Amino acid sequence: MDFLLDGLMQAARLLTGGDAETYSAIMITLQVSTLSMLCSLLIGIPLGFSLGHFEFPGKRPLRTLVDTLMALPTVFIGLLVYAFLTHRGPLGHFGLLFTLPGIAIGQTILALPIVIGLTATAIESLEEKTRVTLLSLGANRRQLFLSSLWEARHGVLSGAIAAYGRVMTEVGISMMVGGNIKWQTRTITTAIALETNKGQFGMGVALGLVLLAIAFGVNLSVSFLRRKT
Amino acid sequence: MQPDGSIYEIEALEHIYAGRSVLRIEQLAIEAGGIVGLVGPNGSGKSTLLKLLGLIEKPSRGSLRFRGKVLDPFAPRARHHVTLLPQEPSLMKRNVFRNVAYGLRLRGQTDQLEARVQEALSFVGLPAEHFARRPWYALSGGETLRAALAARLALKPRVLLLDEPTAGVDAASAHLIKDAALRAQREWGTTLIVASHDRPWLYEVCSDVLQLFKGRIFGTGEETVLFGPWERFTDGTWGKTLSDNQHLRIPEPPGPETPAVVENIILGETDRNPSPDQVHLQGVVSRLNLAQKTGRVFATVLVEKLSWTVPLTQEQVLHRSIYPGKTVTIQYRLDSMRWV
Repeated sequence: MDFLLDGLMQAARLLTGGDAETYSAIMITLQVSTLSMLCSLLIGIPLGFSLGHFEFPGKRPLRTLVDTLMALPTVFIGLLVYAFLTHRGPLGHFGLLFTLPGIAIGQTILALPIVIGLTATAIESLEEKTRVTLLSLGANRRQLFLSSLWEARHGVLSGAIAAYGRVMTEVGISMMVGGNIKWQTRTITTAIALETNKGQFGMGVALGLVLLAIAFGVNLSVSFLRRKT
Repeated sequence: MQPDGSIYEIEALEHIYAGRSVLRIEQLAIEAGGIVGLVGPNGSGKSTLLKLLGLIEKPSRGSLRFRGKVLDPFAPRARHHVTLLPQEPSLMKRNVFRNVAYGLRLRGQTDQLEARVQEALSFVGLPAEHFARRPWYALSGGETLRAALAARLALKPRVLLLDEPTAGVDAASAHLIKDAALRAQREWGTTLIVASHDRPWLYEVCSDVLQLFKGRIFGTGEETVLFGPWERFTDGTWGKTLSDNQHLRIPEPPGPETPAVVENIILGETDRNPSPDQVHLQGVVSRLNLAQKTGRVFATVLVEKLSWTVPLTQEQVLHRSIYPGKTVTIQYRLDSMRWV
């Protein structure tokens, strides 16, 4: 087990010494996950609200579909997005394969069912009397939407965190759609996979620690937000 | 042509929940600035009517007009003037101040926000210095209800709809709630529409009382409703035998369980030549209520366990010395009964 200890020490050196390759993977991960989270929240929250708030024919099957898609395997998304973005694919002319926006598309698909499903659950769990309260105080459609989301904020936030956790830690999409190109599309997880294959445990451990630290930071700020509101 | 001063007009309205008709009103006009009471058993359609009037729901059929115009539920023209305090109101997950200020902020009325919230809180007996910063979960049931009412009063609404505003709260809270609602009506001309089981209070303050049953308005609350099952007596007449061996007689009912409405019940003289279409029953006065607007008195008479509402004049009360506990004979005519 010495390699783990060595890895930890090497990790400390890489992180404190500002190793360019390590920091490149960290920055790329942050960029691409931020982009994909922004997209999935912007699309997913209104869809999740609609799914939770309105009654319409086919709502239950749709709900089951969304719940099923929460378990989509990342390599399968990677495969699909690759097939669409490759130069022979229907979206090939956009030249998005092996780019960060390409990875973000795949990660958005990964996060979307989680954001939609958990937002819908949070909105459904609001009691009918919350809706009556908001309407009786004069809320219009937009205000009803925003205030309901605010009332269900803890549930929506949990959905966002769950989605962020999956996006940050996935390997399949980044590897297949991003191509793991050093300085360009190499993320923390693809870097760990590569370095481990090469026997370079130090960088792998360093990057693993950074992933943990990011997860810790996100959860810490969320629990702070929860206490404040 | 709309009647003068009507704030609401309803025509051929029907509301359907899960395929079942829960409210049907052919015609109804509610005068602006008055106090209207809604009475009726649970499930009679009071809350549904309030939700429709409060623009929370849209009627399945028919027309509902507010100040002469058909309502679009999300049009601010009506939405900003009408507010409902639902049964079991909830506060939003924010402090009392932000709950009370919410409606004002929605309307963009943020001038003197603090003062208006304070005024609304003082109306319901929740001093702002003690309550404004409290979170929603740090209030008792009565305080929650009063804070919810303050959130409505802050809007100075044209119409305030109250759904069982005093059910399940302590006497002090109930008193403050009633007082605040009446003050709004008095000071701002707010039209109050109140559903309540507190009949004495409704008779005391309301300009009109509407009785609902099975989704229909069938009277002014002065009627007595009798419930089946009905039996056919050996002489061919219908009714039920009460446990004290009195016979409650009714005309032939359309169904064995159809409830009957009795109107024009009077205090009778004991058994002087009863005509065949008159029914006399003996009971005990359990309560006297005064309708302050009309000066009429309503006696609640218990015949066995059935409660009858008997309108009286003040002279009758005085001269026949009617008081709770007194045994009296009530009288009604079979042809004065209707079915609901």
